[in-house]
Amino acid sequence: MNTSGQDSQYSGYNFAYLDEQTKRMIRRALLKAVAIPGYQVPFGGREMPMPYGWGTGGMQLTASILGANDVLKVIDQGADDTTNAVSIRTFFERVAHVETTTRTEAASVIQTRHRIPEKALSKGQILVYQVPIPEPLRFIEPSEEETRVMHALEEYGVMHVKLYEDIARHGHIATTYAYPVKVDERYVMDPSPIPKFDNPKLNMSDALMLFGAGREKRLYAIPPYTRVKSLDFEDHPFEIQAWDTPCELCGATDSFLDEVITDDQGGRMFVCSDTDYCQNRREEVA
Amino acid sequence: MPHAAQHDVATRELRPHDWPALDDAVHHSQRLFRQLLSAMSEPGTVHDIPVSSMPQGVALSSAAWGTLLALCDLESRLWIADELNRDGLAAAISFHTGARIVTCADEADFALVTPHSCQRMPNVSEGSDTYPDRSTTLIVVLAATGTLKSAEGFPHAPAHGPLPTRDWRLSGPGIRDSRVVALDVKAEALMQRLACNRAHFPLGLDAILTADTHLIAIPRSTQIDVVTATEEHA
Amino acid sequence: MYVAVKGGEQAIANAHRWMADRRRGDRNQPEIDVEQVREQLGLAVDRVMAEASLHDPGLAALALKQASGDLTEAVFLLRAYRTTLPRLADSVPLRTADMRVERRISATFKDVPGGQVLGPTYDYTHRLLDFMLLAEGECPAPARAEVALEACPQVLDSLDAEGLIEQEVDDGAMPYDITRDPPDFPVDRATRLQMLARGDEGYLLALGYSTQRGYGRNHPFSGEIRQGAVEVEIEVEGFDGPLCIGEIIISECQMINQFGGSREKAPQFTRGYGLAFGRNERKTMAMALVDRSLRAEELGEPVESPAQQPEFVLAHADNVEASGFVSHLKLPHYVDFQSELELLRRLRREHAARDGGGTADEVESARAHEMDAGLKDTTASAPLSAPSSELPSESSSESSSAPSSAPSAPRRSQETSA
Repeated sequence: MNTSGQDSQYSGYNFAYLDEQTKRMIRRALLKAVAIPGYQVPFGGREMPMPYGWGTGGMQLTASILGANDVLKVIDQGADDTTNAVSIRTFFERVAHVETTTRTEAASVIQTRHRIPEKALSKGQILVYQVPIPEPLRFIEPSEEETRVMHALEEYGVMHVKLYEDIARHGHIATTYAYPVKVDERYVMDPSPIPKFDNPKLNMSDALMLFGAGREKRLYAIPPYTRVKSLDFEDHPFEIQAWDTPCELCGATDSFLDEVITDDQGGRMFVCSDTDYCQNRREEVA
Repeated sequence: MPHAAQHDVATRELRPHDWPALDDAVHHSQRLFRQLLSAMSEPGTVHDIPVSSMPQGVALSSAAWGTLLALCDLESRLWIADELNRDGLAAAISFHTGARIVTCADEADFALVTPHSCQRMPNVSEGSDTYPDRSTTLIVVLAATGTLKSAEGFPHAPAHGPLPTRDWRLSGPGIRDSRVVALDVKAEALMQRLACNRAHFPLGLDAILTADTHLIAIPRSTQIDVVTATEEHA
Repeated sequence: MYVAVKGGEQAIANAHRWMADRRRGDRNQPEIDVEQVREQLGLAVDRVMAEASLHDPGLAALALKQASGDLTEAVFLLRAYRTTLPRLADSVPLRTADMRVERRISATFKDVPGGQVLGPTYDYTHRLLDFMLLAEGECPAPARAEVALEACPQVLDSLDAEGLIEQEVDDGAMPYDITRDPPDFPVDRATRLQMLARGDEGYLLALGYSTQRGYGRNHPFSGEIRQGAVEVEIEVEGFDGPLCIGEIIISECQMINQFGGSREKAPQFTRGYGLAFGRNERKTMAMALVDRSLRAEELGEPVESPAQQPEFVLAHADNVEASGFVSHLKLPHYVDFQSELELLRRLRREHAARDGGGTADEVESARAHEMDAGLKDTTASAPLSAPSSELPSESSSESSSAPSSAPSAPRRSQETSA
């Protein structure tokens, strides 16, 4: 198939790809998710024309909320230009003809994989997370039947035990991403594989956050202005990653840095993972 | 229908197509949904949901009608309180959305109620410990279409004169500090019931309160307190 | 100098173009026709239809062609298409007893009413490569019985009369629809069968095989295996009785399994059931074995083997889900990896400082392969990490079809590219 045939491939599908009944099913589930912050609402996830695990949950949520006047930003690893971000953005350009942007502040809907933008989100914005494994207890208890009961009984002791085992062994909590949080003092929630560096941004955010796991057919939400606390211990308080060096491109000292290998002699440099943030800072300096 | 007489228009049967459809199945319902999402995300914020050419004199609000059109379809089960079940409403809902009308409130995904029906709350579902999402969402009609003075915000005074209102302080997820909403005193029983949500959480009832073209949402996560008279005048 | 690369879209387009070229292969060879795939690679078509849950041989053949014969990819293509189709009607349950049988065998009785019908099968062929197929040649028409085989009774029904086999009773309940609603475990048997019917054949085969080797043994016999055409009927308002809208080929397997009985219940044979679109005999046999083993709890058997654990079996049976999630490890995980890297370096510094086994600087300059080895420890507690610095598959095409960009990770290039 050549590229000129790509657009015609997408003709004949509904606005934003999903049919209206599927959107309504997801929308009803989203309202429940917002009403029960941090609770994983089962939904009838559909196959998307992208593989499971590549953001189908986030895409179904985006497709269900997106309107003709929305401005969409898609990031993967914080960057707008990673292959999967490009692919998903292109998909929505073709099936919904919405305006897209790389500027965080210009977007009304941001779909993300693995990062929260550095720039604080504002009221009215919606951040849609792609989630691989929505169940924070899954690696402690593989059975869905069991974890569902654990959530019902608020039986989260095992999670603390697991984190504490890390401390006993390593002297630190060894979870560095997908770091579990407690939402409004009730549900323990997986914030998706964002680095724990981003966890504080979940707390009392101005923006609405929606989480979609397509393969696992679960969605959940954190409304704006909701208390979100990263699990920790009094003697081992939650802490975020820090780097010794600033971003080599923009000089930022407050952003999450990616390590880039520059040669085969062990040379490396650190640059912002959030490409839009980095770009803006460089433009300001220039 | 013991309370139909309260309305200025006598009970009459409207045909399903007398009730308006959405302007456009795709984009209009998307806009309505985003308003509902916004309302549920920020409890107590007022959203305007006008639906063009609502039939005159019906017991329903246009905001409730818009909510039904945006959310209901073949997969939805709806319970309708007696006092709203007029104007050919049930047939109109089936015709426009395909939703099934059920007679047991606890089987319903949505229950269409008024403050009056909340005096003795129908037996709606709060969900279960393992599936708290399997609950009934209340769509409450506080004032029918055309009975509100539009400039007065939510919902305050019906057209035939200001009725006493009571202030409620909302706090919790979606609310930075707290937010006060003024509701017709008739909503007292409803609000007392919703105030119990917090103790049952995560079980509970999510409510969409409508008056004419306006709506606010109060999800089960919201803490509700009565604003005392001293606070009011402070 | 470091340059951030833009242009992922171009790289993706180039990669797809290259893939299309690969699919076409040597232009001196005639292009394969979808009809040829459908007619001459029929068993592949059938497998794709079964696992995609969509009966459409033409589109399954197209999917196979488009996927260069990659069955899992073809299943995915057809499944994604299926999702977009409106549901116009639900069929009434298929009556496999009324099947126009083309193959029908029983391993439990020497002769059965209707007879044993070998039909088209690779069974009893000697698996010697047939070099005659290298040459084009005429294939003789099959020898067929004079009279087409009419519907014949199901073998297991003959055991019914004596009460030797458990009865399957339709409780009239509306079956759960796994394509519409997420399964909430534990699920009932009808739901399990739906999930198995679209499950990956290789996976079911391995699980079924494991029960034969003692991991949840349930003493199976092939009571009856049949394949042939059945009518698909729907109810239409205004018509008395269902209307036939066409015929499809399906395969069915009914296993007969042992059951010890209990204090309340006399010993009785139990059943495992398999059904699939098309000629999918191996799949239906494996499915029947797994269906039966998943009934362990219901039948009071000890649940101790993987094939007896419904949530384990069912949650991992779907190859579209499985291949998607495995392949997502190709996507960038820079951020998570960086998080692990940061922690690992810190832990190693602290370890070195504690043990005096080396200075912090020495540890800091540890080579990449040492980090990889060390990483295994931390990933054990955080299984989601993708400790891979390998190139995503797109990158190789990116580098060749767009030679100006470096074959590094897609988002960034090294100075060598500038």
